[in-house]
Amino acid sequence: MRLGFSLPSLSKFSPIFSHYNPVQPISSSSPTSLKPQTPLFLRPPTHSTTLSHLQKWQNWAKTLASSVTSTDNGPDTTLLLRELNWLIEDALENPKSILPQLGNEDMVVTLRAELKDLYVLWKQRIEERRPFQYVVGCEHWRDLVLSVEEGVLIPRPETELVVDLVSDVVEGNEELRDGLWADLGTGSGALAIGIGRVLGTCGRVVATDLSPVAVEVASYNVQRYNLQDKIEIKLGSWFEPLKNFEGELAGLVSNPPYIPSEHISGLQAEVAKHEPRLALDGGANGMDDLLHLCCGTASLLKPGGFFAFETNGEKQCKFLVDYMKNELKGGFCDVDIVLDFAGKERFVTGFRSKTNYQ
Amino acid sequence: MSSLIQKRSSLLPQTLTLRRHFVTRLFSPSFSETQTCNPSSSNRKYPIHGSGYDFLRKNFTGSSLISVGNSKLSSGSDLGLLNSIHFRLFSSQVAVEPSTSDGLTVEGIIANQWPILEESESDWKSHASAIAQSIHLIKKRLQWKKLLFRLELLSSQLDKPDLWDDPVRAGRISREHGSLIGKMKEVKAFEQELLEHIEMIKLSREESDADLESESLKALIEMRRSAKEKELEALLSGDNDIYSCFIEVQAGAGGTESMDWASMVMKMYKMWAQHRGYGVTIVDEMPGEMAGIKRATIKVDGEYAFGYAKAEVGVHRLVRISPFDSAKRRHTSFAAVAVIPILGDASAHVQINESDLRIERMRAGGAGGQHVNTTESAVRITHIPTGVTASCQNERSQHQNKASAMAVLQARLDQLEMARQAQMNAQHTQSLTEISWGNQIRTYVLHPYRMVKDLRTNYEVSDPDSVLEGDIDSFILSFLSAALDKDEADM
Repeated sequence: MRLGFSLPSLSKFSPIFSHYNPVQPISSSSPTSLKPQTPLFLRPPTHSTTLSHLQKWQNWAKTLASSVTSTDNGPDTTLLLRELNWLIEDALENPKSILPQLGNEDMVVTLRAELKDLYVLWKQRIEERRPFQYVVGCEHWRDLVLSVEEGVLIPRPETELVVDLVSDVVEGNEELRDGLWADLGTGSGALAIGIGRVLGTCGRVVATDLSPVAVEVASYNVQRYNLQDKIEIKLGSWFEPLKNFEGELAGLVSNPPYIPSEHISGLQAEVAKHEPRLALDGGANGMDDLLHLCCGTASLLKPGGFFAFETNGEKQCKFLVDYMKNELKGGFCDVDIVLDFAGKERFVTGFRSKTNYQ
Repeated sequence: MSSLIQKRSSLLPQTLTLRRHFVTRLFSPSFSETQTCNPSSSNRKYPIHGSGYDFLRKNFTGSSLISVGNSKLSSGSDLGLLNSIHFRLFSSQVAVEPSTSDGLTVEGIIANQWPILEESESDWKSHASAIAQSIHLIKKRLQWKKLLFRLELLSSQLDKPDLWDDPVRAGRISREHGSLIGKMKEVKAFEQELLEHIEMIKLSREESDADLESESLKALIEMRRSAKEKELEALLSGDNDIYSCFIEVQAGAGGTESMDWASMVMKMYKMWAQHRGYGVTIVDEMPGEMAGIKRATIKVDGEYAFGYAKAEVGVHRLVRISPFDSAKRRHTSFAAVAVIPILGDASAHVQINESDLRIERMRAGGAGGQHVNTTESAVRITHIPTGVTASCQNERSQHQNKASAMAVLQARLDQLEMARQAQMNAQHTQSLTEISWGNQIRTYVLHPYRMVKDLRTNYEVSDPDSVLEGDIDSFILSFLSAALDKDEADM
């Protein structure tokens, strides 16, 4: 199997020096520009202030964080104070140099954002409940630092495990390790990049997303990890961009929207008000996309190919396993439920049967 | 042991020639050359330990020694090899004490009780006396007798033909043997150098060679200075002293009061480590409900971090007017400190079986997954067979939290194994292993008077603020020297 990957066009965005406007319109479903934002920690350190001004801001921010009382499972003060430290870490050119200098109030510190923007950003975090990852423009996920912004789902810690599952499966299986993998609904590109890094030299990943913002952000992240020759990001719904690859995929993973529609409004503000509904809402019982994926997977995977889906929990896992065993009889084998680190049934994994089914 | 040497000699006639070179070299008059025999800085000490180990491994796995024999004399690793050979001969005839041609030994110098004058006084006897005193102190700190005894024991174990049936144990023995030889050899070389310079001075006087005399005198002054450094180094001669470490502080009973004290203690260590130029990372931190911390773990990165920090293990007691008590009463609070070395040598690690681990996400309530957006991804790892746990929450991804927690778990299990080993080698346990989690070691009084006092050494200062800002080196050094210097019997 040969794939001709074209290099994503660089002219569309110049990520490092793109201008960032900290006063973002909230829940912007249709951003005016598709140019991905540069995460705070990668912006040029062109601003400066004195240590005492920074400390004044920090004290203000601490006070704001201490005033928080969350009613919807949102962050508590401890967590917010930790986030504040991370914000400082990302905003300073050289965070380590500050510590020994404490007390030297006139010392000039170099920042990657104007001090007044830091006030705006922290206010957004506390008062508007803008997710911390959007505030700093990045999410630390596995050993990666991924750019994220409004319109793209912030990858969750649970999802990290999918890469471990793939890593376990490709270990000692050359055919899978050097095969073609798909990540459907890639969002920030987290799974595609995580998997791209555990595959062999010939292994490739093709990732799809319906959202143009997600495609841009994922492409930017792929570039940042210099994986553009290994990972291709395509715009389109689920399998649509993969029509040419029927029966050729060595593996397929997805973290599709799986929250039942009626639950969305009750979620914590960070999710409900700021993250894209497109990436969360899985229809009436949350299974719409998972079931669609199951059906397509059978025809896309080659015999012996591996799949892993993230789900909402025990109920969806059981339903999926049951569906695969009964409705898609013989199509899959070794179908299994895998727990996340919180002990919740979270993933359904399995292989396409080696023999023809039905 | 002698049979081993014979075997090697017959295989390899060069060895004997090399040894002769080595001996003449030691007595060669040039100062600069003899310097190379005496690695004085700590960073030179370790490669030589390693080479001692390599040498043994080569010996036992039967691979070629020829290439070593042919290589240049001046390189550090060759010196290690040569000194090892030298030692093997020496240790079978321990009675031979190095001396000058007229029979003066280091012990003899001490017995002469030549007055020790200022360094600026150009009296060679004074310098020699000062250096001999230092050597005496260094030997005491290295627990010289125990060290020689231990070496003898390890050598006999290394000579057993079935040694490598258990490669893990064999590796451990080789490593320890190599490390002890390194220490032994360094002191021996230092003694040798002293006697050699004295010999030169005597010679130069007989020959009325003023240049040679002043050169040798200069060399003695140089030695006197480096001897002071070696005294300090010898304080940190424990097996794991050179490594980085984790420092853990846990609040004692007493709620917010103790939790506040625990965070003060932790801050003291953070500042101490930063002043020393060590890297400091918070691994795990459980904040108290109102103030302070229930417990916290930091990683202190840098050479000898463990060697110093181990002196802090124990319970620290604070007496003050409580800022949390509206009645302004005096309170006593406790915080316990533990210090765990991070072994640098991967082969020394305890093997951890993946299936023995239980990995849990902490504080993960609710549905999880897409339902929740949180930057909290704390992970706790439990080693099921031992019940040892480790957790980390300060990293920005679950993956990194897991990796950090794993590093802590590894260090804890390594420490457990070391404690087990130490019990088995009871004769070799350093007095430092007596320090334990439960012992109260230091009191900090802020009211009614101001004082910090170490209960082990009775060392005290009247300025608690500077101590709490990390100025604890004098406490550490006084404890380390007291712990090692008290035992004259070890000489």
